[in-house]
Amino acid sequence: MTTKATILVVDDEPQIAEMISASLLAHGYAVSVVYDGEQAVKKVAAEKFDLVITDIQMPGMDGITALGEMKKIDPELEVIIATGHGTMGTAIQSMRKGAFDYLHKPFEIKELLAVVGKALEKRKFNDITRAIFSTIKPEELLRVTIDSVTRILKAEESLLVLPDKEGRPRVAVSEGLEEEARLNSRLALCDRMMGRLDGSAKPFILVDEPAKDRSFSDLPGIGEIKCALFLPLMEENRPAGLININRTQDGEYFTEDDLQRAKIFGSLVNLALRNSNLYRQLQETQSQLIQAEKMSALGQLAGGLAHEINNPLSGILGLTQLVLENTKPDSQTFTDLKDIEKAVFRCKKIIVSLLSFARQEKTRMEPVSVNEVIEETLTLCARQMELKSVRITREFAQGLPMVNGDYQQLMQVFLNLFTNARDAMPEGGELAVSTSLLKDPAGRELIMATVSDTGTGIKPEILDSVFDPFFTTKPVGKGTGLGLSVCLGIINRHNGTIKAHSRPGSGTTFTIGLPV
Amino acid sequence: MGKKILIVDDEELVRNYVRRALASRGWEISEASNGIAALALLKREDFDAVICDLKMPDMRGEEVIKRIRDMLPAVKIVAITGSVSNITRPLVPGVELDGFLIKPFGIDEIRDLLEKISGGG
Repeated sequence: MTTKATILVVDDEPQIAEMISASLLAHGYAVSVVYDGEQAVKKVAAEKFDLVITDIQMPGMDGITALGEMKKIDPELEVIIATGHGTMGTAIQSMRKGAFDYLHKPFEIKELLAVVGKALEKRKFNDITRAIFSTIKPEELLRVTIDSVTRILKAEESLLVLPDKEGRPRVAVSEGLEEEARLNSRLALCDRMMGRLDGSAKPFILVDEPAKDRSFSDLPGIGEIKCALFLPLMEENRPAGLININRTQDGEYFTEDDLQRAKIFGSLVNLALRNSNLYRQLQETQSQLIQAEKMSALGQLAGGLAHEINNPLSGILGLTQLVLENTKPDSQTFTDLKDIEKAVFRCKKIIVSLLSFARQEKTRMEPVSVNEVIEETLTLCARQMELKSVRITREFAQGLPMVNGDYQQLMQVFLNLFTNARDAMPEGGELAVSTSLLKDPAGRELIMATVSDTGTGIKPEILDSVFDPFFTTKPVGKGTGLGLSVCLGIINRHNGTIKAHSRPGSGTTFTIGLPV
Repeated sequence: MGKKILIVDDEELVRNYVRRALASRGWEISEASNGIAALALLKREDFDAVICDLKMPDMRGEEVIKRIRDMLPAVKIVAITGSVSNITRPLVPGVELDGFLIKPFGIDEIRDLLEKISGGG
């Protein structure tokens, strides 16, 4: 205990109050004494106590009422009820009101001290629990964790080891290990220990004199460790790290109580880490949602903008053509005006694509040519692909029947696939788009469209997840994780199918089937 | 004899080139910058065709077109709009249009359309 625990003794019999007070003082606690319930409540309201020991039957406010009042003021306060007149009834009543324990008078000092010790330990754990759970940011959490564990277990040194991005163990935070050589020797010890964890989740592993243990004896610099305690951290039932707490040769061996504490502590930390991870995921999801909102707002803005631009653009086109009619075809002016006209057509094409993308309306089915949808979408992407050195190859089956579909929504699907393909090929590559007609086993005709890239590919373990909402492999803020799930939704509404095939390193192919 | 056309658009730039494109082909052109002015003009004079923008302040183009059709079942009506990228549904529900153009459109597009819808008649 770094600071003295403060205890308030409440008893209307001064001799008893003095007796309790004196024994506690003798054991290093800071003690105050009051002689009835009202005073006790006032005192608790005015000062901070760790623990109250109160009689039940007192003039004025009795101990149980006082207990309730004090708990209202300080819910963290631990209260021990001590009385000579109590029955089982009063005991149960006081426990219900939140008393920590119940002492029958007359009690031995040893008994009192044992209960006080337990109550204070519970309080200490409450403090740590609060500290850990109030800290949801991962960096702070790790610091609080190591500080607390070193304190609780009266250890000289401790460290928390987590795997880095490549899976190599790395010291996340440490205490009492400022010297680099020592820190490295502990890291090596943890590394060895992590290698020996077989996945069965033991709450803790104790190694006395690791230097004398055959499994560790070859590691340098661990001779000064008297006993090493390891708390494995688990994440979704997988080992996720290790806390190592050591007492050096000057210290004592860990006691059963210490190990009990370590066990409780380990489960607290695991819970807190899970909270912290959930918090991180929540933050990521939030930023993705914000991104999705932004995209939607951008779409609306683009739509409005396109409409506003179309009026003046129409004027430019019409007036240019009027002047062209009165211009000699072999003049420079004629050539210039023709260039203006061409520029307007380019703008028109861009705006048409932008409008198609921006509109988010209900599905409106009409006969649609899949080749035409793909061609128009490719027009929209052509420039971007060119910039990223992506070559586009087309293999369209001619004379395909129309499908019943929503032109804009199908465009959105292909736009998404093309954009993903582009992002998968940062160094350039080939985007291959093909269409064909297929009969399924039931004899129904399907139009198959495939979009392939020569990019990085998708790892098999995440291939199933790519259509999940919010799933993205792009950095936070880059991808919404919504693109492919929107595609899946649209294709489903068309009674079609969309599948992803990929091998890491050899690109990805998306196959869409649409019923004719 | 030139046929009479009314152009309804709040955008002067658009009215300007449409008027000149059609006038040079012998059409007689009147202009209105909003729906109310257009309806008033249609009550006073006879027109063969109306070219009407869909997005205007005051009265919406759709409403203007509906009223014109109610008032003058025989007049040719062409809707023009910059709000859509392709036509996937009736531009003016419940009203049969004689034609439509999406902005930006060129002078030959409007001339061809007008000649087509009125030439036969």
